[in-house]
Amino acid sequence: MSEPRKIGVFICHCGGNISDYVDVEAVRATVEQEPDVALARTTMFACSDASQQEMIEAIHKEGLDGMVVASCSPKLHLYTFRGVADRAELNPYRYVQANVREQCSWSHREDRAGATQKATAIVRAGIAKAAASESLENFRVETLPAVLVIGAGVAGMRAAISLADLGLAVHLIERAEHPGGNLRTFGATFPNNRSGSELIQTLLEEIQQRETITLYTGAEVIERSGSAGTFRVTVRLSNAETITVPVGAVIVATGFDSYTPAEGEYGYGLPGVVTLPEFRRILDESNADGQSSAGPITVGGRPIKTIAYIYCVGSREAEDENRTYCSRYCCTATVHTALLVNARDPSVNQYHLYRDMRTYGKYELLFEQASRQGSVFVRWDPDQPPEVRGGGKRLLVSAADVLDGGDRMEIPVDLTVLVTGMVPSANEALVDTLKLPLGKTGFLNEIHTKLRPVETVINGVMIAGAAQGPKTISESVASSLAAVTKSAGLLLKGYVDLEPFVARVDAARCTGCDECLTACPYEALQKITIDGRDVVQAIPSLCKGGGACVPSCPEEAIDLMGYTNQQITSMIDAFAREVEYA
Amino acid sequence: MTGVVNPNLHREVAAYGAGNVDLCMNCGHCTAVCSISPELGTAFPRRIIHLLQVGREEALTQTVEPWLCYYCGDCSESCPRDARPSDTMMAARRWLTARYDWTRLAGIFYRFGWVQIAAILLVALVVMAAFAIYHGPVVTSHVALNTFAPVAGVELVDRIAAGILAFLLISNAIRMAWSFMGGSQMLKVPVRIYAQQVPQFISHYFTQRRWRRCSTAPSRKRWMAHLLLFSGYVSMQILVELLLGWFQTDTVYPFYYPQRLWGYYAAATLLYGTGYFLVSRWRKLKPMHQTSEVSDWLFVGLIFLVALTGILVHIFRLSGLPLATYITYAIHLAIAASLIAIFVPFGKWSHLLYRPLALYLTAVKQAAAAALAEQPDLAPAEEPAVPDGDVPDGDKPDAIPVIAVATEEV
Ligand SMILES: Cc1cc2nc3c(=O)[nH]c(=O)nc-3n(C[C@H](O)[C@H](O)[C@H](O)COP(=O)(O)OP(=O)(O)OC[C@H]3O[C@@H](n4cnc5c(N)ncnc54)[C@H](O)[C@@H]3O)c2cc1C
Ligand code: SF4
Ligand code: SF4
Repeated sequence: MSEPRKIGVFICHCGGNISDYVDVEAVRATVEQEPDVALARTTMFACSDASQQEMIEAIHKEGLDGMVVASCSPKLHLYTFRGVADRAELNPYRYVQANVREQCSWSHREDRAGATQKATAIVRAGIAKAAASESLENFRVETLPAVLVIGAGVAGMRAAISLADLGLAVHLIERAEHPGGNLRTFGATFPNNRSGSELIQTLLEEIQQRETITLYTGAEVIERSGSAGTFRVTVRLSNAETITVPVGAVIVATGFDSYTPAEGEYGYGLPGVVTLPEFRRILDESNADGQSSAGPITVGGRPIKTIAYIYCVGSREAEDENRTYCSRYCCTATVHTALLVNARDPSVNQYHLYRDMRTYGKYELLFEQASRQGSVFVRWDPDQPPEVRGGGKRLLVSAADVLDGGDRMEIPVDLTVLVTGMVPSANEALVDTLKLPLGKTGFLNEIHTKLRPVETVINGVMIAGAAQGPKTISESVASSLAAVTKSAGLLLKGYVDLEPFVARVDAARCTGCDECLTACPYEALQKITIDGRDVVQAIPSLCKGGGACVPSCPEEAIDLMGYTNQQITSMIDAFAREVEYA
Repeated sequence: MTGVVNPNLHREVAAYGAGNVDLCMNCGHCTAVCSISPELGTAFPRRIIHLLQVGREEALTQTVEPWLCYYCGDCSESCPRDARPSDTMMAARRWLTARYDWTRLAGIFYRFGWVQIAAILLVALVVMAAFAIYHGPVVTSHVALNTFAPVAGVELVDRIAAGILAFLLISNAIRMAWSFMGGSQMLKVPVRIYAQQVPQFISHYFTQRRWRRCSTAPSRKRWMAHLLLFSGYVSMQILVELLLGWFQTDTVYPFYYPQRLWGYYAAATLLYGTGYFLVSRWRKLKPMHQTSEVSDWLFVGLIFLVALTGILVHIFRLSGLPLATYITYAIHLAIAASLIAIFVPFGKWSHLLYRPLALYLTAVKQAAAAALAEQPDLAPAEEPAVPDGDVPDGDKPDAIPVIAVATEEV
């Protein structure tokens, strides 16, 4: 870099957030001396429209070829100021953000001189990086108008229908023999008593009407390659054949499993102790058997006159840190089950041993209805959990009555229903194949619960339904439609622009030693022959800019664009330089 | 205390006229407004409703809390679910009355109004028949009530009946005291404390002073009306049980003579008191008068009729109408007898004993607990002598709800 660059530096007060702890004027005065700096200014709010306008004017007027804004974290405003550069016809990758708020003023409130010194160093490093920057262009990747949906539960099926209606081809992969997931054979569901199996049947008919949806049952994903917009996914079909489908995006809607209590957990294993899904099956089957929907309920030949429901089994565990969460659906599902039981036989006594009644939102009405019908709600405390004892013809459930001083009482019942929560579906192979991120509870993890609720850290891979964590039907469908929207946003344009921060191999230096090939987790490097020499080349569409290859190269032949070796070393040098106060 | 619950309890108590027990969500509004819950240190009345919902029959039998409630109705007005807790307290008193009654008749009468009416009619018919058969000579020249119904005879029958009814009532009251004081695991309360608290019983018996602390102004008016009624009732009881020879005479004394004045007082207060309550019930003026069971109407109505027929006997005699006097007298006694026979041991009359007894026993327990705090050696082996063994709701820290969703760590 013989000729000095013309870099503009803008140092933000952030309305005092920075200037209260950092002497921004002193920083400005110091960095102004840097040889590559053509202009250094302070500003009250760099992100304000007026300031942005000023920057654009300065770029034009001074003919700047680089820009640094010393302000907040790039997470907040990197794209704002790249946009400013772009609007001023300065290549946006010649813009550098120096974080002097989160990393400086906010963390050193007690030491103004030290904070000022550190801010100066940070800005200098930014200037050094900008000085070594070059113009870069985004990669444009063509996208395929097709989506792979994994899991044909209510979430996956609903997603498939909407994707098809948006003009995207869908490959719907279901591992089980039949589509439908947990609701496939299910009876009445809350809140409207719509039958789960009918719901699935309706969705299936809708799917069959759409030619662009291909449903594969008994199928599993075994391999994935490519990246957002151009994935290639290999699927093993039920007849053991494999096919490879090219798709632009993937939606994972693999659902949940119900928690299985351990032998002896709240009496599980004793005759007359069943889980909620088991009880629902019994109820549904006895209906289907032609037993009219009114009349006494029998389980294993025993007439049921009194039922105890024990809530939160397998959920909200203090002991097991993977299962501290609330399964959300179960309070409402149990109260709803009590309504169904009451409709069958109003003389049945129903005791609900709950911890907190979480029939949230409008489901509160179901709770009230159940209590109107005589369901008895007995609160229990995790310190004194209920106990279930067998023997004799009936079961004895003993519970501490928290709402009356904690006295223990014994409830003789014919049936104990354990209200089991949701656990992640068993899916290690898939998680491994797709490199899906898991939360600490084992459910699939989105980037941010509120801000990016269906996207994962893997571009182009969306998650939906109860695979993300406990959800009711309507919540599952809501998230599946969100995943549809995100997929459509990615694919309907026909292309995606990827940031140019990818590896570049200097063919002249490369000796073809292969070290880097194993370092890359994305298989974004390939061997080619140039002028009879074996060298490595990076594939920009696959490269994630992770940088794992860079240090692996013994010849220092690999650079990560936007973070070149030269940029990083000059930043370190600038940072380490003594600060002389002006 | 470990009790096996009775899941049908809430249904059973519903037959005693309970409020809508099922609707209660245990929010505690009723406890917050109830004027006696702070004294009791329990979550009354929510607690009673809860015991009913859950079916803790044993615990419910062991408490006398419902007897401390004078039915001001504040709780029902505050209930967000319209569960009518005060009605449930009333029903709990009926249920407890039935529980104490070892003959089981009380339960039958309360649950089946028509059986109660039939029983009343039966007693009345028996009395009328007895008069028809055993009456003395019928003098028609002038009114000679004591010839028609000699005082000695009436008094004898009166006292035999009183003895039987007192035996039934007191044996039931002993059952009440027994279960409240801990049954077979009886609290060891020194006799001294029992003796010291006797004035409590007497003062509550005669003044119902606890009522005055119930709720607000309207309740005071009810208390006054009730106190008048009570004084009239006690007057009548004394005049006929103890002083019949002095009261029932064929000589017409001048009107300022004490037996006449006292008799007028009794009649007036009885008519006013019962009239007040009948009208309130009829017009549903207060929350506690929204629902009336057959037994409520019968009890107040019969007292009214007793007073009315009593005064009629007097008027007929003053007017010199012998036959009318004799017949009305027979009717008067028939009504009085059925009132007493059905309601003293098996019905609402029993509250004259149960209420002050409950207040007395509660005071005994509290005094014993206070004594125990000073002298721990009085402690019984099994259980501490705290009133009813309860912890007020607020003392129990609730589990902090874990609002964790599966994906929160992002
Ligand atoms: C007892 C009970 C009662 C309930 N009652 C109600 C109710 O009344 N109302 C309500 O709103 N909600 C209710 N729910 C919740 C409801 O079941 C869920 O919200 C819903 O099933 C979630 O749908 P899903 O598609 O996300 O998951 P699932 O229904 O679990 O479907 C997931 C599908 O993915 C498939 N799959 C998994 N892994 C793979 C793989 N690797 N490859 C291919 N396919 C795969 C599975 O086989 C399955 O078909 C209840 C739940 C239970 C347990
Ligand atoms: S929804 Fe209810 S039963 Fe289910 S885990 Fe949460 S609190 Fe427990
Ligand atoms: S106010 Fe009503 S709902 Fe609340 S605890 Fe009392 S009776 Fe129950």
